[in-house]
This record gives sequence, C-alpha cells and structure tokens, in this order.
Amino acid sequence: MSGIVFSTWKDEFIDNRGKSSDESSESAFKLPETYHGDRDSKAFIGWDGVAIFDEDIDAIELAAQYAAQYQQYSEACGRCAPGRWGGRILYDLLDKIARGEGSHEDVAHLKEISRTMMTTSKCEIGKTVPKPILDLMEHYKDQFDDAINHQKASKHYRGDISYIAKVTAPCTDMCPSHVDIPAYIEGVRDMLFGDSLAATRQTMPLAHTCGRVCPHPCEDACRRANLDQPISIMELKRIGADYEADHGLPWHHPYSPKPLRNDGKKVAVIGAGPAGLTAAYYLALEGIKVDIFEELPVLGGEVAVGVPEYRMPIEKYNKDIELVTSLEAVSIYPNYRVNAERLKEIDAGYDATLLAFGTRLSKKVYAKNENPKMGGYWGAIAMLDQVNLWNKYKIGEPASLKLKDKTVVCVGGGFTSMDVVRCSIREGAKKVIMLYRRDEKTIIRNTTYEEYHEAVEEGVEFIFHSAIEEIYDDGEKITKLKVNRFELVPDPNGGRAELVKIEGGDFEVECDYLIPAVSQAADLQLLPEEWGVELTSWNTLLTNGKDYMTSRPGLFAAGDCEYGPMTIVNAVGQAKRAASVISRYIYDKKVSLTDDEIMEDHLGKLKVYDKNEKITGWMPGLPRAVSEKLGVNERKTNNKEVNLGFTGDEAIAEAERCMRCYYISMVAV
Amino acid sequence: MHVDNIQKNKKITVTIDGKVCHSTFGKTILQIARENDIYIPTMCYLTKVLPIGSCRMCMVKVEGVDGFILSCQEKATDGTVIATQNDALYKERQNIMKLYGVNHPLECGVCDKSGECELQNKTMEFNVDQQTFMAKDQFRPVENWGHVSYDPSLCIMCEKCVRVSNEITGDEALQIQFGGYSSRIINTKQEKNYASLGEAAAVCPVGALVSTDFKYTSNAWELKKIPSACPHCGGGCQMYYEVKRDKIYRVTNNYEFATMCGAARFGFDYANESAAKDTKAFQAAIKAFEGAKSVIFSSIISNEEAYILQKLKERYGYKLVCHEARAYQKFMRAYSSVSGKNLYSGTLKALSESRGIIVLGSRINDDAPIVKYHINMASKRHRARVAYLHPIEDTEIKNIATQFIKYEAGGEEGVAALLAEALLKEVELPSSIRDFLDDLDIGNLSAECNVGEEELAALKQSLNKKSGFSLVVGADLYAHPRAEQIAKIIALFEQYAGFNVMCIPPAGNAMGVSLICELDDKSEGPNIGYNVPADFTLSALGDGDLDMPAMNQQEGTLVTFDKRVVPMHVALPYRGYVLNDIANALGVKSEYTIDYTKELPRAQGFKEEEFDHLPDAFDLVGNENRGYLLEPINVKTNEEWQEIAEFEAFDGAVVYCCNQAEQFSPFTAKCDLLKSEAVLLGSQQFAMVAKLQEGDCLAFTIDGIRFVRVFKIDTSMKGTIALNPTFDMGLSSALLSSYRFSRLEFERVGRS
Repeated sequence: MSGIVFSTWKDEFIDNRGKSSDESSESAFKLPETYHGDRDSKAFIGWDGVAIFDEDIDAIELAAQYAAQYQQYSEACGRCAPGRWGGRILYDLLDKIARGEGSHEDVAHLKEISRTMMTTSKCEIGKTVPKPILDLMEHYKDQFDDAINHQKASKHYRGDISYIAKVTAPCTDMCPSHVDIPAYIEGVRDMLFGDSLAATRQTMPLAHTCGRVCPHPCEDACRRANLDQPISIMELKRIGADYEADHGLPWHHPYSPKPLRNDGKKVAVIGAGPAGLTAAYYLALEGIKVDIFEELPVLGGEVAVGVPEYRMPIEKYNKDIELVTSLEAVSIYPNYRVNAERLKEIDAGYDATLLAFGTRLSKKVYAKNENPKMGGYWGAIAMLDQVNLWNKYKIGEPASLKLKDKTVVCVGGGFTSMDVVRCSIREGAKKVIMLYRRDEKTIIRNTTYEEYHEAVEEGVEFIFHSAIEEIYDDGEKITKLKVNRFELVPDPNGGRAELVKIEGGDFEVECDYLIPAVSQAADLQLLPEEWGVELTSWNTLLTNGKDYMTSRPGLFAAGDCEYGPMTIVNAVGQAKRAASVISRYIYDKKVSLTDDEIMEDHLGKLKVYDKNEKITGWMPGLPRAVSEKLGVNERKTNNKEVNLGFTGDEAIAEAERCMRCYYISMVAV
Repeated sequence: MHVDNIQKNKKITVTIDGKVCHSTFGKTILQIARENDIYIPTMCYLTKVLPIGSCRMCMVKVEGVDGFILSCQEKATDGTVIATQNDALYKERQNIMKLYGVNHPLECGVCDKSGECELQNKTMEFNVDQQTFMAKDQFRPVENWGHVSYDPSLCIMCEKCVRVSNEITGDEALQIQFGGYSSRIINTKQEKNYASLGEAAAVCPVGALVSTDFKYTSNAWELKKIPSACPHCGGGCQMYYEVKRDKIYRVTNNYEFATMCGAARFGFDYANESAAKDTKAFQAAIKAFEGAKSVIFSSIISNEEAYILQKLKERYGYKLVCHEARAYQKFMRAYSSVSGKNLYSGTLKALSESRGIIVLGSRINDDAPIVKYHINMASKRHRARVAYLHPIEDTEIKNIATQFIKYEAGGEEGVAALLAEALLKEVELPSSIRDFLDDLDIGNLSAECNVGEEELAALKQSLNKKSGFSLVVGADLYAHPRAEQIAKIIALFEQYAGFNVMCIPPAGNAMGVSLICELDDKSEGPNIGYNVPADFTLSALGDGDLDMPAMNQQEGTLVTFDKRVVPMHVALPYRGYVLNDIANALGVKSEYTIDYTKELPRAQGFKEEEFDHLPDAFDLVGNENRGYLLEPINVKTNEEWQEIAEFEAFDGAVVYCCNQAEQFSPFTAKCDLLKSEAVLLGSQQFAMVAKLQEGDCLAFTIDGIRFVRVFKIDTSMKGTIALNPTFDMGLSSALLSSYRFSRLEFERVGRS
C-alpha cells in the first residue's frame, strides 16, 4: 500500500506531498488504494474529487484520460449540448496541454467550459466530471504550467499506465443487481419502452418480477429523497416489461444471444428460482450450455410458489421465465430433486455447478409443545406452496378446503408472513391474526408501507410485541396458543431499547391453524458429507461474497442458499456475478473478476449515495407518483393483481423527476 | 383518487419576472410563461411533444432553489418566484450557443434553413460574434433517405425529429446513435422511405433534416406562405402552401402544434394547370345541366360547392349522388338516432389522451394516417391498450396495437354486437337496449364472425383502467349492407359508456357533403359528373368535358375529423370556369363561391360566418383557432332494434379496396413525390387460394369498374384477402359504392 498523497474526495482536503509519514494525514473514506490483489492504484478520480496515491502521478494525463473516459462512456450523455460538446472540448484541450502544445488561454477555456457543464448539463455525470479536473488544475498547477511554458509533453504522456473507469449511480450502486436504473427510467421518459427494458435486462432478467415485488433498496439511495421524495424506481421497471408483453414483441435482450458454443463445456444449475434463472440467462446469452435441475413440477422457485398471485401474477412471471428458457443454450429438468448422490453425478459431469436452491425449510417458533407434525401446524412454505400451486397451476387442491371459516394465527413480520395472512384472507379464513415480536414501524420497514396497510384493510389483525409461549392441542390438532406480551424498555444508558415481557400480560388465542413464518433455512441434505463444504454460522453455503465459489472448486452458490433468506434482487445480483465468474472458470479453472466487477466492489465500499448532499438545479416539492390499486372489496376475495401500475402519464411524470445521477470514476493503475 | 390527481388541477400562483401568473399544478414553468406571453429561449422545445431537455437553454432561476432550473420540464409549484433573465443565465445561454456553433459548417449561404433557422436566430440573439471553443472536426457525409435528407454536420442533436418519429407519427424510424460528440440521428427503416419523416424534418430547427425534393430550390424568404387545409383524407389538417411565381415549392405547417401526414406534405402538385375559359365547353355544360336529371359528384369538393349543388337540386330537382358521402350520411343518421346528436362526439385530442382504444372497420394507417398518429400518441404517452379489429392484419401498426382481433370479412355487425355485449355489461342501459344485448346469441355470433369469446375477454381485461376509452370506426362499416344497425350499436358506446367515439369519414370532404346535401341513392340519366365520369363530365383532372379547379386552386371550407369548419385558400391561379359560374348561368346567383360560406345550413350546425372572417391560427400555447367548430344538433332518437342479420362469409379469394398510406384519390395519384405503383397485393396464402403467381396480370370488376392489376406477393401479409388500390383509377374511383370487401372473380390477362 502506497498511502495517500493527495485527496479532495468529498471536500476532505489532504495534501501529504513532501510530508514525512508521521506528518501525513489519512482519509476517512475507503478509497481504492489497492486496486486488486497486489496491484496498487496510482490515483482514483471521480465525481466528488481526486485522490492520488503515487507521488509520481502525471496530473495532466490523469485529467485528460478522465475526460477521455467520459467521452467514451458518454453514450447516454451525448444528449445535451453542454455534455456533448463540452466533454469533447475538455478532452481536446487537456490532451493539447498534455502533448506540449497548450497555452494559458486553453486553461482559461477549460475553466469556462467546466463552469457551463457544471451548471447546465442534463445529467450528474456532465455536472461532476469537471470537478476533479479543476482540482487537478488548481493543485497540480505546476505540472500544467511546466507543460505550457516549456511546450513539452507531460511526464508520462501516452505512457503505460492503465486507466480503468466505471459509470455508476447511487441507486445502481445500492441495488444488489446493480441495475442501470437511470437508463431504464430515461427509456420511460423518452417513451422508448423497449430501450427501457433492454437497459434493465443488462443485469436483471426478471423485469416483470422486480418491477412488482422488489423491496427496492435503491429507493433508499435515491438522491431525489434529499430534495423531496425518492423516485418510484421499482414501479417504473415494469413499464418496459409490460410494454413487451402487451405488444407481443420479440424479446428485448441486452444484446443478441451469442450462438451456442458447442465446445463441450456445460454448467449445471440446481434450482429454477430467481438465482438459478438469472445465472442461466447470462450464461446462455454468452452461448454457454446450461442445464437447470428443479425439484418442483413448476419453474420459478419461491416467486412462483411463495409469492401470491395478487402480488405477482404468474402470467407475468412466466414471461420472465420464458425469457430465460427461450434461449437455445438452456435446458430445464423439472421434477428433479437433487440429492447427494445426484449432486455427485452432476459435479462429475459438468464443468461447474451452481447451487441456487434457496431456503425452503420453515423455521420453528420455539414455543413449548411445538410439534410440527401436529394437526393445524402448517409451515409457511408448505402453506404457500399449496395456495400457489392450486391458484396458479391447478396442482393439488385449494387451500380454502382447509382454511375456509377457520382462525389462522401467523407468526412472522417479513414478506412471507404478509403473504401468509393475506392469502389466508383470500382463502376464506374467518379470522386472521399476525403475531409480531416488534412494533408497527419495524414491520413496515421490513416489508413495505403498502403491504402492511393493505393487509390491515383486508382485515388482518396485527398483535405487536407478542410471542407464543406455549401451544395447546387436543392430541390431534392445535386448539389454542398462550401468548406473551412485551414492551420496549429504553436503556437508561442510551443503548438499544430492550423487549421486556409484561408480567401478567399473557393471553390466550383460540385457533385452528398456526403458521410459523419466522424465517427459513436451507435444506442442505444434498451436500455429500465427504465434500466437507464449508458453511456459514447460520448454515448456508460459505463463499467470499465476491466470486461465489464455495470451498469446493467448481461448486458455486448464489441466492438464499448462500446468503440466507433475502430478497429476489439480492439473489439475482449474486447469480449474475456467479455466472460471470463461472463463464471464465469453466475454461481456465480460475476464479477471476472483471475490471468492471472489481470497480463495482470498490464503489460499493466507498459508498456512492450521500444522504447529506445538497441537491442543486432541481425543483423541489414535486410529489412522487402513486399508482392505482384495487379497492379492498375489489380484491380481498380474489387473486386479482392489486397494483394496477402507473398510467402512461403518471409513469412519464415520475420519470421526469429522475435527476440522472450518473457518476464516472476511474482508477489509474 | 391518487395523490397525483389531487395535486393536478390544483390552482397555483407563480411569479415570473415580476408578473403574477395564475395557473394549475402540473404545468411546467415554460408553459406558464408562454401562457403569459413571457419569453424564455429554447432550442429543443417542441410544444406538441413532451419535454426533451437536450438544449438546456430554457434554464431559469427560481428563488430559494440553488442552481438553475430546467423550465421546459420542471413543474411550477405554488408560490414559486422565477427570474427568466439575469447575467449568469445570459452567460450560460451564450456559452451553449457557442457550443452549438462548434464546427457547425459556415454554409448558411446555401443552406435551406437560412432565414428561418433557430441556430441563426439564437446565435444573433446571444451575440455570439466570436468562437472561443473548439474541438476536432469529424467527417460526416450527407445521407439521402428518400423523402428527406440528413446532414449530420449540421445536426445539433436537439432530438426533436426522433421525438416526432416515435411520439407523434409512430413510424419509429429515427433513433439516436449515442456517442457523445459523435452522436447522430440514424434512420433504422430507410428501406420504407416513410413519408411521415416529412413531419420529423418539419421540426428540425436547423438545416440538418430537410425535404430532399425542396433542397437547393429556393430561399425560404422568397416563398409566400398561403394558409390552407389539406383536402386529401378528410382530416383537413392545417397547412401552408409555399409558393413562388405560381408554383408550389413545398407544403409546411405550424409544426409547433400541428402535424399532418405525408400526403398533405408531399401531395401538392395536382393543380389543373392548363385550364382556360373555354366558352364553347361552358355553353355545352349549361346545356347539359339544363337537360340533366342527376348530378353525380365525388366528395373531393368544398362545402360551398356542395351547397351550390344542393341549391341546384332544390331549383332543378336533380338527383344528387355522392356514393361515399351518402353511405356516411345514412350511417350517421342511424348513429344519431341513438346518440341524439347529428355528429359523433369524439375528437382527435381525446383520442390521443385515451388509455384504451378500439379500432373497428378501418385499415386506419392507410385510411387516415393522422388518426393513426393520435392513436400512437395515446400508446406512447398514456400506455394505451389498442385493440385493432379487422379482417386483415396490418404490420404497420403492430408497434401500437396491443391486440389484433381478426374477424370474418362481412361480419362487422356481429363484431359490433359482440363488442357491445362484452364491454357494456356493467353499463346502465335502457331496457330495450339491454334486452337487445341480452337476446344476442353470443356463441353463434362469435362462431360466425370468427371472434373468440376469450379474445373479447382479453380485450375487456386489457381495459382495466376505469375511464379514458376511445372507439374509432371507419369506412368498412359505411357501405356495409347492415350499416345502419351497426351505427346504432356503435352509438351505444358514446351514449351510454362515455367512449370517445369517432366515425372517421371516407376520404375527401364526405362529412361536409353529408351535412349539406340531401343525397339520393341512385342517379338517373342523363347525368352530369363532377369529378366523376358521366354523360357530361366536369373534371379538375383536366380530362373531362369542362375543366374545374383542383382543391389547391380554389377557396372554400372543409369539415375536419374534429368537426371543425376550416378555410382553404387559393395557392395557384386557375384560369377556367368554376361551379359557381355554372350556377350563376343557371340562375343560382352569387358573385363568389365563398359568399355561400355564411349560408351553410345552420340546421346541421354550421354558423353564419363570413369566409373572410374565419380565423386560421393557433395561439401561443397551441389552442387551435381555425374556422369554427360545428354545433352538434339534437335529433330525435329511435330505439328500435333489429335482430342481427346472418351474413354469408366470403369463401375463396377476397379483395379489399384500400389505398396505401398517402394515396387517397386521383389527385394524390397525380403528385410526383407520392408516385407509387398500384398492384394487387396479397399473401402467399391468397396466391394459393386464387391460384395466382407473382407477376400475373388479372382483370376484375367492382361496381362496374374494371380493374386490371398485376399481382404481387407481400410476405408480411397473411390470409386470403388482397389489397386493391383505387387511387390510380382516375375519376371513376368515385363510382365505387359497395362494401369494401368483395369476392375476387377474375380473368387472366397475361403476365407482366
């Protein structure tokens, strides 16, 4: 590690030039001083400043290359006058100075054009690119003066330094799948819905799904929130997908699928859920043969058999699935449960195997007399399987045969528990109670505001700060529950508040069904014991979270079976990365990351979104669009999709609120 | 109700440059400024499309907000205080103009746009007298795309043309090729040579996208702009003939607010130029009129001329025959008997704002491109679900239609009934109508028309929003044997379900004629033909017994799709006799044809307006102020319903009389820039059924008109119905009177 020489990152001014190591200051930011492995960075330059790690840096060349990368990456940004011409002028002038032909007038013009770009550009990329260039011109003025006064090339002009750049945005950075959100929103704004969808599918094949049921962590990193309210990012995603489906258009792939390689290489994917489908999609786009093995008779994993129809219509999800299965390189084997014996066969027969089987074991609530075999005890996964297999595929029998006119108690607090209680209402239960250990605010944070309020509207009774102490049964089935109540007691020392049982607050609830939906665990029976695959402390498959290879070479894992029960978008992001690593691994048996992925990880560490940043150049107070929903009586007895989505004008108005916060950053190596 | 809707329409007050402006939430700062006559400079703003935001010139200062605000896109909020001009803004705008000038070729002397160029205007406005910025130039040759040509080195990438191509005309041909400094516009459908690209060229603020034909023919300032209305399809679109020395050089329009189709823009050279005052022929004409029992005429006629014919009828008892207008008249009268109004209520604007659109009985992209544009606007801006119901699929509207429902030719009555039954279920209807719908034998109808109940269910489901529906019907219905019953069913959608219904009249001024003339079904001899071959023929093509002026050689009014009476003015001189001369000779006296404008029948909604007082403009924010809107007249309703008639499906090969887009009549056929080949166009399947091969020449007869056609296969077509154009048939095309589909019975006359 070379240590920091100079930095203006986020207005943290560090200048260690010519200082001894004990006089040097350090940066508070996780700047990429080491690029990857043992490769050190010479400099990092980006939207919020520049950091130099090498005394010998050529500041002029660094600035010129940053402008050049902006030119090259400005594909989306050749779209406003200041960005289009300004970017080119920046580069031409900087390069003129760097090759020893510049003048002081050029420096003045650089400053002038920088100001215009920073004030008037359409996107943040045009507004921010000049900042570090101006910083370099100011703080490395001697280098500029030297090149101009002596009409000589800068010290490493056209040398052998590599410049690696990446474009990102706060939302894109926060999204586990790193979806190019500003691009798909721009597609909506421009009414080029196909382009919007193709932008999404660069990193996210499940556009219908994640346009409907994603908990949208991106919206927590939306800079618009600094101004008024975040963009309704998630709902804008389905516009492109619905457009393709409504118009019966051919698939909008991010690029034409490459022809099947036919080189004998093949990859096995265990599980046809979001992670498995995603990995298969990106491998198949590259022409790599993929076989997917799925235990259930239907494809789609938990989104198919877990997420209910009224939230995620199967007709739409099937479009996402067909997108993947329509590719020549993908073969599907449903009704194929992989056990240890079969996994060994697969492992031997394929060049790489991706485990993507999710977490399909319902955890217990840990109450007295808890017997999963007792009548009326129904794990959330099994319950939702029955509901969805019947409602979506007419497999099995309706859950209403069991739940009609019954009292259902669910223990949970996450999305799965919401699905359980709202499905129970739709299956005709007479009374549905949700027991939750924490409070209303937390349940909203863990799910969404809409999800909670819609459940309340539909008649679900929420009992907060409660937990089951004991389950009573009559020997055949559950009859009632003993429930403890808690209160949140603040720590007098200012620490985290603690849940304390209220003495004498216990009560009993009579019920027919107890559906635990507290969490799920991975079913690890398929791992051959002799492999000794390493696990995490919570019994999921251990990887380094970057290349997703397990302790066994050639065996990869992504999605819930790696991370533990998490979101669809998380599974997609992991699987996309795993597919990329696998696409190289099957040829060289090495795990490696691309420059883009390395940069992605650096930016994730550095953090792109800054919730304290002040926004300029946008009108505040424009409300976030809210889509039309079915009324409670229109929805609670059927499985119609509750959210009707944006109308065209709502979608466009919402897209116009997007500030296109693209940023470009670059490392000199 | 949505938050958004509550906010929308909320009254707000903003202050712009010290002026207090009252408006509603949802409008942009620029819109409010324009409403209040406050100038904000723009380069990429085009009122008729949604904000593009590429030029950044319109930035303004908002009090209390850091940075500059993009006024074309940002909505004003209550209490906003805005400054549109200050030194800093001036400086940035000047710099942007300097950037636009970087490597812009200094060829204004030969540039078509010179004199009406936004770059020229703003360069002067911002005093850009020297260039301080420079960048390496690029080699970028000019491209000829057919109707239009593109010069990338002149292009400032404002993106207006791309927006028009996508958002307005829907040809989706133009796209941006991204690449920063080397970004450019590309034409992804060059082989189609869409005439609608003329609309994209019209909005180009510089000389980058221009009409290939017009290029290098005249300086803009030498041309005289003559405002008028397009007479071709019946849409009556706003236009200017641009004329120099008795020649039309080009047609332009008020592109900021209005759009027209390729026929209007490129179909202007059809004047009857060689006409002269042939007194002998004129005497013969008077004699013919004196002996005639009927006048047959085409609907390509002004309201005033139609009124003259009506007056002649009243005086001499002629039978007045205009087939297309008569069919439309009967249809609309039946329609009125349910709607209670003599006009349909729909408008193009409401169509373009629809969330769900049903098109029935028209090959709409060919029949009325301007209507297709408005459907496209709804599709793009409002994500409208568009169901296209027709016996023949049309690949040209595939990008807009969300559902194609193919029905059996001849089955329109059944299809209309099925639609009503499926979509009006939850609508409150008078009992006689409810009984009529309840008594329908749906299974049978669905089988007869070949429309699946599941298709209707899918259509119904796609209209999941609660309002904003349009129904567009067209000429297939008007000459249908059951037209009147169909009309009544269609009227239910307007009367009881709040649909924006438009009954698109056939080409020409059929709506005007249908309102002005008491038409007869049949003529009896001897007869006079006006733009129709007859015993004595008056022809604006110059091929009859007496010459008449073409539409661009006369003044008068037309009725548009929006039921607006709009003025046409004289673009080119005419030296022969006009219909009014004949009328005067026959004792129906009036100095000028346009003296009749104020006499048009008030009983049909016309107003007592002098022709010379008719306005012809748009206001600053685009409100149309052309002529006047017809007043809908209340008429008696009649709730008698007939049973749905059985119809005999056509077996074997069928032809459908339909002109390709931009061709409407012998007049468009005459236009150089629209030149197209008239062939019988069918699918592979049609060829098999008809036992025809590509290149076969065949002859067949429809309504007594003999067509001799070369057959060509279009591999994008399906089914056993071929398209038979009529535009090349000269005046006789106006004799076509029957249902547009007919069984093909032909003789072979060789191979081409």
